[in-house]
Amino acid sequence: MEAANPADDFIPAALAAFGVEADEIELAVMGAAHEMFWPPILELLELDTSAVASQSDPDLSQAPPSR
Amino acid sequence: MSEPLDLPLREQAVAIAAGEVNPAELLEAALARIESRNQAINAIVETFPERSREMLAAAPHGPLHGVPVVIKDEWPLPWRAQRFGAADMLAPAAPGESGPYRALRDAGAVVVGVGNMHELGSGSTGNVSVYGPAGNPWDPARCPGGSSSGPAAAVAARLVGGAVGADGVGSIRYPAAYCGLTGLKPTFGRAAMEGHHMAGVSTTIVSGPLCADAADCRLFASALFEAELQARQARGLRIGIVRDEVSEDVAPAVAEACEAAIEDLRRETGSEVRVVELPGLPAATLATVLIANSESLGGVTPERLNHLDPELSPLGRGLLKYRLMLPAAATVKSHQVRRMARQTLASVFDEVDLIAWPTVPAVAPPLEAPLVELPSGTITADAANVRGGALANLTGIPAISVPIGTSEGLPIALQLQAAWGRDELLLDAAEALEQANGRRWVEAVPPLAQGEPSGA
Repeated sequence: MEAANPADDFIPAALAAFGVEADEIELAVMGAAHEMFWPPILELLELDTSAVASQSDPDLSQAPPSR
Repeated sequence: MSEPLDLPLREQAVAIAAGEVNPAELLEAALARIESRNQAINAIVETFPERSREMLAAAPHGPLHGVPVVIKDEWPLPWRAQRFGAADMLAPAAPGESGPYRALRDAGAVVVGVGNMHELGSGSTGNVSVYGPAGNPWDPARCPGGSSSGPAAAVAARLVGGAVGADGVGSIRYPAAYCGLTGLKPTFGRAAMEGHHMAGVSTTIVSGPLCADAADCRLFASALFEAELQARQARGLRIGIVRDEVSEDVAPAVAEACEAAIEDLRRETGSEVRVVELPGLPAATLATVLIANSESLGGVTPERLNHLDPELSPLGRGLLKYRLMLPAAATVKSHQVRRMARQTLASVFDEVDLIAWPTVPAVAPPLEAPLVELPSGTITADAANVRGGALANLTGIPAISVPIGTSEGLPIALQLQAAWGRDELLLDAAEALEQANGRRWVEAVPPLAQGEPSGA
């Protein structure tokens, strides 16, 4: 059996959960965005960042302090 | 002397200060030129001649005294609220004295118009806007770049000598590249931002100049920084290059021009070129997009999304609704990626002074279908451009786009990035590159700005 496009389920379910309405064109845009972003988002979530030092509110105007 | 409006920004300022050019006449010439040229490119979405004349009458004798400039539709003016290129910007907007406006006013400049921009700042092409798409002066059927589409097109068409853009994910550098201009994305927090509806919330957006060349950007940025940016001769630089998608999955003409420009810069400055590693660049790019998108969600509620202005583009409506679904865990992870990227860059900038790669991987695509052909295949210009533009926004470092050639009659650009606070070095290096190629590309004039009989 052919696997369903994850966007077919995810987007209508998320919209319903938020109570947000969308027309057909908006659904198509969201589907395309989901197709583009979701696989790399899943990869990002798997990324090992355990070695990253915690630093709240970094000063982006300067190099990081701990080098 | 050529027509005063065709002079570089700094020479307009010098000519006014020396009494060789009457600033009132220059203002009227800018308004006339907007009238005659803007229809083809839709760069300027509003002028306000009386306000501009009042501004000139009150202008202090600062470094930009009497020089006409354009400001992106991303900041309010005392007489006009920004619209962010959109029918519905999901944030309160009201007239006011924004930081860039105040900085330019205090330097003596005269705001002559508001520049078009990509709707909600969410695209690198400029083909979607509540005002209609902006066109590229090199070919009005091509994208001018975004989101600072109007400011770039206005400067390239010689409507003004300089304009203020904003750069949250490459939005000054992409249009600079497409329009053959020099565009500086300053170090985060260094340029005036007050009055921007995301000021204090965004950790990626900065204001910055779009001008013909680096010297004009230096003068304009000095106003926006409210500090004079000193020029030094760039010598003995260590230029870093990256053997990665960002420099290799690019159109052949772009790759060739960028390699030649890096060699020109090396030779001109007695520098050396080193290959550096930037692992995790794709993750950093995604992290930038996720952070920038999540930071704009503060005022968004499901109820609000159900009542978007129907004039907002379907693309804009769909993307706004999709943003709500982005997982919080991915945003948290993105901030961790940001910390990793900043640490990595800090180490890289111990080894090199600059990192060089193509600003965008292909020349400006058609407005009708903003797709680009790369060795890996055909993809949207947005997906391609963000690869080279995002890192500076994620980490806070400065970056500059410099014109270095043409292909198919359209500009090609090299991006230089430097460590935090080294904006001046980028300008020095850009000037050295201009010297190396005989200023051929910064003095190139697009067809729209050639041979106008009006004398404006």
